[in-house]
Amino acid sequence: MIRSAMLCAALALSSAALAQGTLKIAILGPMAFVQGENHWAGAEMARDEINKAGGISIGGKRMQIELIRGDTNEIQSVPDATNAIERVITRDKADFLIGGFRSEAVLAMQEVAMDYKKIFLGAGAAHSKLGLNVEQNYDRYKYWFRITPVKDVDLARTLFAVMNSIGQQIRAELKTDTPKVALLAEKAVWTEALVAAAQKNLPAMKMEVVGTWQPSATATDVTAELSAIDRSGAHIVFTMLSGPVGISVGRQMGERGMKAVAWGINVEGQKEEFWQAAAGKAQFVSTLDTYAEVEMTPKTIPFVRAFKARFKKAPTYNAATYDAIMILKSAIEEARTTEADKLVPVIEKIEHVGTAGTDTFDKRHDLVWAVGKTAGIAVQWQDGKKVPFWPPNIKGMQPFKMPAR
Amino acid sequence: MLQDILVTGLVNGGVYALLAVGFSLIFGVARIVNIAHTAFYMLAAYCFYALQVKGGLGFVPAAAISVVAVTLLSVLCYRLVIEPVREHEAAVLIATIALALIFQELMLFSFGGHYLGIPSTLEGGIRVLGVSIPYQRLLILVVAAAMLAIVWFVLYRTRLGLAIRATANDLEVANLMGMNVQRIAMATVALSVALAAVAGVVVAPVFVVDPFMWLAPLVTMLAIVVLGGLGSMKGSLIGALVIGYVEAITVFALPAGAYLKGAVALAIMVAVLLVRPEGLFGVAFEEER
Amino acid sequence: MYLARRAWAELRNEVFVLPSRTAVLLWVLALLALPVVYSDAYVLRILTMTCIFAIFAASWDLLAGYTGQVNFGHALFFGAGAYTSALMSHKLGITPWATIWAGAAVAALFGFAAGYLCLRLRGSYLSLATLAFPLIALGLLFAFPDFSGGELGISGLRRLALTPVTNYYVAAVSMLAVVFGLWAIADSRFGIVLHAIRDDEVAARASGINTLRYKLAVFGICAAAAGLAGALFAHYLRVAGPSSLEVALSFQVVIWGIFGGLATIYGPVAAVFLLYPLTEWLGSFKAFGELRLLIFASIVLLVLLFMPRGLAPWLRDKIEVQCPRCKQRNGAWRSVCRLCVAPLQTQVTRPERLVGHQ
Repeated sequence: MIRSAMLCAALALSSAALAQGTLKIAILGPMAFVQGENHWAGAEMARDEINKAGGISIGGKRMQIELIRGDTNEIQSVPDATNAIERVITRDKADFLIGGFRSEAVLAMQEVAMDYKKIFLGAGAAHSKLGLNVEQNYDRYKYWFRITPVKDVDLARTLFAVMNSIGQQIRAELKTDTPKVALLAEKAVWTEALVAAAQKNLPAMKMEVVGTWQPSATATDVTAELSAIDRSGAHIVFTMLSGPVGISVGRQMGERGMKAVAWGINVEGQKEEFWQAAAGKAQFVSTLDTYAEVEMTPKTIPFVRAFKARFKKAPTYNAATYDAIMILKSAIEEARTTEADKLVPVIEKIEHVGTAGTDTFDKRHDLVWAVGKTAGIAVQWQDGKKVPFWPPNIKGMQPFKMPAR
Repeated sequence: MLQDILVTGLVNGGVYALLAVGFSLIFGVARIVNIAHTAFYMLAAYCFYALQVKGGLGFVPAAAISVVAVTLLSVLCYRLVIEPVREHEAAVLIATIALALIFQELMLFSFGGHYLGIPSTLEGGIRVLGVSIPYQRLLILVVAAAMLAIVWFVLYRTRLGLAIRATANDLEVANLMGMNVQRIAMATVALSVALAAVAGVVVAPVFVVDPFMWLAPLVTMLAIVVLGGLGSMKGSLIGALVIGYVEAITVFALPAGAYLKGAVALAIMVAVLLVRPEGLFGVAFEEER
Repeated sequence: MYLARRAWAELRNEVFVLPSRTAVLLWVLALLALPVVYSDAYVLRILTMTCIFAIFAASWDLLAGYTGQVNFGHALFFGAGAYTSALMSHKLGITPWATIWAGAAVAALFGFAAGYLCLRLRGSYLSLATLAFPLIALGLLFAFPDFSGGELGISGLRRLALTPVTNYYVAAVSMLAVVFGLWAIADSRFGIVLHAIRDDEVAARASGINTLRYKLAVFGICAAAAGLAGALFAHYLRVAGPSSLEVALSFQVVIWGIFGGLATIYGPVAAVFLLYPLTEWLGSFKAFGELRLLIFASIVLLVLLFMPRGLAPWLRDKIEVQCPRCKQRNGAWRSVCRLCVAPLQTQVTRPERLVGHQ
């Protein structure tokens, strides 16, 4: 009885919406966590901006954007995510899907979205398989595009570019020819390739790899690993961490007064709460990141400032749902239709100046990697603030600092 | 490398010992399988965070209030939830799991899923044998030793301790002997949760605080208590040190296998259960043979 | 024609006399007829997952409720079935219809292994050891990421059937077959022996029962059923990942089992059918979504306090009554037993003077 009432209400709403011209975009993410919060926040900013300007115009008709909140709870449960995406498609009648974070869940969600032939724009999962599916089975998976981040193998290219820059600084300041690098990567599929690449590339970059440590992603104590790294005399700790172990590393490195500097991927280190979570000890921890008040594109600084003013904290890369909606708007206005099949070729050819960089897509519907365009930025925590330092030629970048010796 | 293993193993073992003391008391001695034990540890950590970081209280008042509040809460929970189903072991398991989940969700709801950091009580560290140890960890070792001493004293030198051991040994006979079994059980729960709360206040600054922080220590504590032997405080201490050393050795000997330290601890627990269920120093009760 | 009359006679004499059996019949009919009436894809998805988890819960009950081996790591068998079926269908290209049975078989092997390891353990010790098994398995899976896909698992698996309705029927029919099979096992002589092992293993051994064989057998059977559930789960979601081995899943099945009623088989199944759609429905409201697990745990706690034997037995006792003489169940509204005509409710009347003239 309640179910049929809900169904009637949904039908009434959707038919009313169609009459008025509403475009339903579902934002899927773990809403109780930072990633989902950013998904939603970025989307809200895009929706308000577009709707205030009159909405999306399709050949003279104006459509307002309506956001549907799909809480996937994917961090805790993969079936919850697939239930959520099915619900927003069948119950809430979403036209477009944006979001996702945990790769295992996004792989499952991608299947559901492709079954229903809905355009699904990824805003969080980096795993290459999502793009590989597009290449291997184009007709089924063509509705998937990844707006952020760049796929995992491209992240490696950025990491080594910055590593080079830090290596130069160490050579200059410490007067040593071959800086020593300790690899500290959480045990996960996404780090396997990175670790192998580091072990191969770093010697070629005239840096010595003194050891590889692989704690668990949820490890809360890395004293043993850090003791060993201390003993090895490393100058740089190359971090490949996405879980809370990143906080433990930052804090314990500071507490031990380690002379090595941490650089790499530290997803926890990208969040505003990192400084407090590491009890103020994570000085000089540096990580790859996406947003800062630097002029990657003319839109970056206004977006970051507006985000901070509205939500009282800095955006993480998941807030690129803003860019995703803007890309949809451009594509719909150019193709003059909301049909997925007609939009796909338009999005494939798009060149979108977004908030984090300039987005173009390759044949796997992944972002094309280029420094200054989509490679991201590097930030370092200095005295409680995230200070961007790379690429050095962009306006707003500041120098990289190292612990005193 | 040997000094690293020696020092790191000792320090980590100390942390585990502090966590294991309370669990050993409730599970090992009183044989109440309280899955929510580490959930109380989490509550104490959050309470301490809220009072010290948000409320700005000093270390001592914040710690004292946290410990007392969590202990009182545990007695309440015991009365309302666990006592009615005390006889069915399976029901106690479920009730405590449900309690732990409720606490987790309450913390998730109130503080969010972010990771929080509690500032250390003591800043700085010293170098022992070339390995640097933060003062907070030494504090943990000292507190662990103190707690162990207190528990040993209570269990073996006071009437309450005698009563606790008696009810654990044979509940019906203890009841027949005139002991107030309900009150003794409440005292046991209160004492063990107080220990967990103390651990929460002292250990949480070393780790990160989040609503799911109760799961990982639970498994390690089970491994330690089983390894050391149910019913033996000394066994739990030795078990904690053994697990601490095993983990340190795993990381130092096999850096790329550092993530295996959890699985190794569990494998040890399983091996112990299969070969000698009483553990190293355990006291096996008649019905369990 | 004879069969039809026989079926009708059976129904009238065996099923309709008891409200609980009638309810089960209605539930089976409703399950099978649902897609004809209401084929919303979302609802079918929820019910398909419910059926899969019902198989999982029923298999746990046979192990824990009937035999007394409270398994805190039942997810090991679920994950074993999922991963085996996924690996075989993905890497070897075998059709999922065959690999789910392979998944169940491999899970049964894990069951035998786990049962063998736990032979000498009892009570909390057994629960702890079984808790550790899936965690060790997870460690091994992470150690061989090329084989197992690491934290991502194996994705892009083939579906068993193409449309939501067919998938639903596959799950529902499997569930009915497995649950009734498990219940038949539990209701047979095999089941009586399991009860005996739970209540007093020493006495059972003394009576000449080879408890070792029974314990291993029940571990194997339950593991196979759980493995089948896991394989169906993997092919439905099209991903077999470490989430199929996690501690939360093991705890979840324990909660379902105890909430529904230990040692009943139908209890945990009812619990899954009640709780899973409820939590999913609560999750779709923004206000409740975040409180979903909290409400779930509170409900479990309340049921535990007020209905310690579980929900299903409590409900059943409200609508049925046991005859004091022949021990058979009767509808609660009856005054005399349907089989032995003994009075069902003994009336306590005012004390009469039985001596003296009336």
